[in-house]
Amino acid sequence: MPADYDKGAYPEPPRQTPAVDKQTALPNPALILSKLFYYSVDLPVTTFRDAVDSIRANNKIVYYHQKFRRVPNLTECQEGDYVCYYEAEMQWKRDYKVDQEIVKVVQERLRACHQREGSSYVQNCAKEIEQFAEVSKNFQARYGDLGAYASARKCLMKQKARMMGTEGV
Amino acid sequence: MVGMSVLRSAAAFAARLSPLKSGNNAANLLARTIPRTDKVAVRWGHGKKMFVVKPTDFYDRRFLRLLQYYILLTGIPMAIIVTGVNVFIGEAEMVQTPEDYEPEYWEYYKHPITRWIARNLCDSPVKDYEKMMAAIQTEKEKADMRLTQLEVRRQMRQKGDGPWFHVDTLNKEFIDHSPKSSPDH
Repeated sequence: MPADYDKGAYPEPPRQTPAVDKQTALPNPALILSKLFYYSVDLPVTTFRDAVDSIRANNKIVYYHQKFRRVPNLTECQEGDYVCYYEAEMQWKRDYKVDQEIVKVVQERLRACHQREGSSYVQNCAKEIEQFAEVSKNFQARYGDLGAYASARKCLMKQKARMMGTEGV
Repeated sequence: MVGMSVLRSAAAFAARLSPLKSGNNAANLLARTIPRTDKVAVRWGHGKKMFVVKPTDFYDRRFLRLLQYYILLTGIPMAIIVTGVNVFIGEAEMVQTPEDYEPEYWEYYKHPITRWIARNLCDSPVKDYEKMMAAIQTEKEKADMRLTQLEVRRQMRQKGDGPWFHVDTLNKEFIDHSPKSSPDH
């Protein structure tokens, strides 16, 4: 079976199942239903997965994470050095993608926390809420209204406007 | 009496031969039952049998049949191939890059079919990157050369001491001085 998710980022709440204290002789419907689900859904699916995994075990392939070298930014390029501009542009595009994924991860954590806590999420998820607010505010400030044809130059101009205080005017 | 029975049998025989003639109605021949072959009870089960008149659906059904055929012609082999790959080879697992190993460019993808396409049909992204940078460098050099040419033109035209913008001076031996060689000509 594939690896489990990161338990540190998505902590499970403590189990609140009480100890079994049967006071009647009648069968427990919840138990019956869970056993039914197990035998009709869980067991066939798990056996199928194990069968397919055993077939695949001979042809295992692996893939790696590609790490790109850092190149000079747009600000560190000489004027008219279009090759340097191109490399800086590509690096900026990669960083843009990475930042989008970061925002998605933080958002996913907030949603998981909300799902876990139920109606008391406002207090218990305060850290996640604050983290998400900060991350999305920074993302909006940096990449906010650049649009579909965003480029490193436009981002740099947006940063300049931000520094000069003229943004939003 | 005998003549009457002969007549009756003759009428019956005539009715049998040509049942549709007006005089040969079976109701006239009272006593004898004649087998009538034109008015037979046809049994089709129960229910009224209708001949339903509707416009042709031949062309529609032919279109759907052909559509199904041409879609499944490549659809079924593709489905078999993709299912086979997913069951027998399966997706890759992410591992840490070993220290001294430089992975090939197709080893950065997860699905085996994507890896195959990247390996056999596509160029390496490094090659594409380098090609783009080479094109940019060529264009930059062309642009720089054009700018310097313009600058040189400007300088040479202005200062006049360069090889461009030369107007050749005429050979003084070809000037005809005869109209001005003597006064009051």
